[in-house]
Amino acid sequence: MNWQPCCMKTNSATDTVISGVGVITATGQGKTAVMNAWLEGRHAFDVMKRPGRQQGTSFLGAEIGDITYPEHFSKKMLRTASFTGSVALVTLEEAWNEARLSEVAPHRIGLVVGGSNTQQRELMQTCDAYRGREAFLRPVYGFTFMDTDVCGLCTETFGIRGMSYTVGGASASGQVAILQAIQAVQSGQVDVCIAMGALMDLSYWELQGFRSLGAMGSTSYASDPGGACRPFDQQSDGFIFGECCGAVVIERAETAAARNIKPYAVLSGWAIAMDGNRNPNASCEGECTVIRNALEKAGITSEEIDYVNPHGSGSPTGDATELKALQDCGLSHAYINATKSVTGHGLTAAGAVEVIATLLQMKSGILHPTRNLTDPVVPAMNWVKQTPVHHQIMHALNLSFGFGGINTAICLRRY
Amino acid sequence: MNKEEIFKMIVQHTCEVIPELEDHTFKSGDQLKELGANSVDRAEIISLAMESLSLQIPMVEVFGAKNLDELATLLYENQ
Repeated sequence: MNWQPCCMKTNSATDTVISGVGVITATGQGKTAVMNAWLEGRHAFDVMKRPGRQQGTSFLGAEIGDITYPEHFSKKMLRTASFTGSVALVTLEEAWNEARLSEVAPHRIGLVVGGSNTQQRELMQTCDAYRGREAFLRPVYGFTFMDTDVCGLCTETFGIRGMSYTVGGASASGQVAILQAIQAVQSGQVDVCIAMGALMDLSYWELQGFRSLGAMGSTSYASDPGGACRPFDQQSDGFIFGECCGAVVIERAETAAARNIKPYAVLSGWAIAMDGNRNPNASCEGECTVIRNALEKAGITSEEIDYVNPHGSGSPTGDATELKALQDCGLSHAYINATKSVTGHGLTAAGAVEVIATLLQMKSGILHPTRNLTDPVVPAMNWVKQTPVHHQIMHALNLSFGFGGINTAICLRRY
Repeated sequence: MNKEEIFKMIVQHTCEVIPELEDHTFKSGDQLKELGANSVDRAEIISLAMESLSLQIPMVEVFGAKNLDELATLLYENQ
């Protein structure tokens, strides 16, 4: 017998849904490994060791370990793929297989890659290696330095023949990519569109820039890397970087059904709005705008949202602003946790990875703990603290905010 | 480097650029294009070879080589 709670909307063949996901973080490759780490609150924060990450510094972050590549990936292509590109390929592989996209006509598949300036570490390493011997610069640098090389790598490897491009939205890039992919599907440009939040590969330059700006966590937790990433906690003093990448497959419910794919969820509402503020500070007004617009588009009230996956970067002012926005929008009752407390801040990847966190929690019926949340800056929220909570998500709200006044919100409805 | 050493060095860089050729037995008459090297791969191999020889000449001067032996000869004569 088909049963749905009275408040649930009926699924429709024309619903825009998510039919496959791929994810990698510092705690694992693939949704099973990543979800296990989320539920266990298992982290990988440490002094970063990837070449080009330190310059007499001890920046903290979470770095991806060894990656397993499928046999069918071209060794020749992997040789010249950036780290961002290599991670994109294995992430897409997982989403592609789950949604069985090999059964879809290649020219009806699109790919939107969220993120700009994503390969900074390797570009800096190349500059260092060839400074003074520029004549020997590798010819492939002439096209691999562009972010769109990720589009080229992925579309060649998977035979995608629809549209593909990158979109930038700072730390909201992953969600901006999802919004763009929704448009591509709803306009009929393609039948299926993959949205990816690309790994942002920071060099010590960007890390130092974030540190100088006061956006990244300070040296307070230098001797306790596991304690440094603490979104929404009184003792947080900035975000902690975490390498990750996420890909979601977006299409109409009817095209997924044609391949016997049961979607994860319906993309019921979404919104993007600018603050008209070039700076990195958050705006409660802008955040409220996208929350309310996304709820309106979803046709639901704030009371119906039962889970919020917030931006929650760990920025003291950013976290406080976001909690005020949630309170102002009547969302204090909804369960809330912080995926970045386990994964770190993936910057361009964060928006997509956190939508995936929501989908996997929706599927499992368990909400993951929030690491290091011992003294919330606003206690009067429905926090998931150190212990996982069993809860069947019906309507979820995901938020992402980017420097430059970029606000995005996405509503997900249980399918 | 003598010409034989240059030939071996080109083979090494060819395998680096196209790992799928690691089991190939290279012959002097082998053509990079026929070995699966596209124009970017060929530029990459030549660039690596020129770097190994610290040879700063316009790349176009070695583009005329018809096979690996001719490429080795051109690089040998220009070093």
